[in-house]
Amino acid sequence: MSYQKNSVLLISILLVAVGLAFALAWLNIAKSLSYADLKTALETTTATFGTLLGIITAGLMFTQGKFSELASELTDKAPNYLAEVFSLEKMQSISTLLLALQKRFAELAATTTVTEERNLYERARVKASSMFVNLAVLLNLKLKQQGLPDTAQVSEMDPNLYKVYQKRRQGVKKEWQVFDLIQQITNIWEAPTVFFAENSRSQSALQADLTSSLSILKFKETVDKSSANIRLEASKTLSDLDNEVSEISKRLHEDKIPQLLSQMRHASTLRGKYFYLALIFIAAPLLINLLILPQLSETTAAFFQPIISITSLLSVMGVLFLLLYIYRILSE
Amino acid sequence: MKALLIEHSTPPLEVIIPILEKAGRGEQELTTQLYNTYTSLAKGMKEILGLKDKNMKTLAKVFEISLGFEGVKFEPIELSESRYALSIPDCPMIHVGKDVSFNVKSKFCDLICTSGSRAFMDTLLSPNRGTCTWDKALIKGAGKCTIAFELVKSR
Repeated sequence: MSYQKNSVLLISILLVAVGLAFALAWLNIAKSLSYADLKTALETTTATFGTLLGIITAGLMFTQGKFSELASELTDKAPNYLAEVFSLEKMQSISTLLLALQKRFAELAATTTVTEERNLYERARVKASSMFVNLAVLLNLKLKQQGLPDTAQVSEMDPNLYKVYQKRRQGVKKEWQVFDLIQQITNIWEAPTVFFAENSRSQSALQADLTSSLSILKFKETVDKSSANIRLEASKTLSDLDNEVSEISKRLHEDKIPQLLSQMRHASTLRGKYFYLALIFIAAPLLINLLILPQLSETTAAFFQPIISITSLLSVMGVLFLLLYIYRILSE
Repeated sequence: MKALLIEHSTPPLEVIIPILEKAGRGEQELTTQLYNTYTSLAKGMKEILGLKDKNMKTLAKVFEISLGFEGVKFEPIELSESRYALSIPDCPMIHVGKDVSFNVKSKFCDLICTSGSRAFMDTLLSPNRGTCTWDKALIKGAGKCTIAFELVKSR
């Protein structure tokens, strides 16, 4: 929330500053400039843009360096995780539990007439499917790593789920991205929010949906004795899955993987912003040097006067923007 | 603690109320289930936290943790030897479907608060030692609901 407020404030300040500077320049500078002044202004603007580009490039290189360092750290850990934490037995055990959940909750949803109850079961089924797909992708990567044929549980997927599986599998291009998949699995299970801190309704995890479902089934059991077996079976699955996933989650947190992934995402976002800034600051001086300066003469000066005023202003705004941007980066 | 809270969780109101409405029965069963669940929860939390005394302070501590787990924010108003009061700006009942009438919400608010508070008081104060009141302000449209536990004055 505060991040959004800061962004809005920053953009507002920039827009007001651009507006004011533009109005002042239009009223005062443009009319009084001579040809020599215009040429100097253009050259100064180009130099300013160049200097700013240097600063931006330094920022871009720094964030790229940080991103690479984090990616390399995670890449080093990835094979170890697939070999140790995700043994074939463990993956098969979790997959079997998830499949059982999917089937059971699909049946429950199909036989329920109360919309809210059906939505709860359907939500649990969808999340179990999503975990299952991520696990299948991990299994596929593991089998590839070991040079074994792909026996990932594709036959258990319907066409839609298979499409999701293919998309996620193709999305893993770097070795470190397996951690994204693993984190998604644990997040679907137990929600990324800190215990007690957030409202559980706003971001319910599969574990929470299953717990809620079990409470409902327990209640129905007392009323019409219909769901006793289903509840016991689902309760056992919940407990087994919790044991399996908690172990993975514990290891992830011990190795500070969620923090590393979060830092990578942050570095990646900053890198993107620096990249676009660099493009702007490369394009502007190029435009001046290639298009305006060669055409500038005593006779064309009057024609170029407004454009030069704007480019001069842009360079001033560039300095202001960069200072604010660096301030924001440092305060994040 | 987390395992205990997961093991003894209550049915989500936004689901259970439509089920009861449709079935036209089951209120007594729900009351019993809630009472048993909150009693087990209170006993387990008391044990985990190592709370020996049965008094308002113990009740306040356990009650606040269980509210926190359910994602209910709260503001303590008063805590003394004989009274514990708190206000909540949000409650699961107001997230129950829009088409559920005030009367139905009010009825379930009483049912849930009665069985829940009774379970906490019986376990953490001793049976028949306390009373609990709630003003249902949230479902009436006001900003905060006040819940107050008080010790019964002995003659």
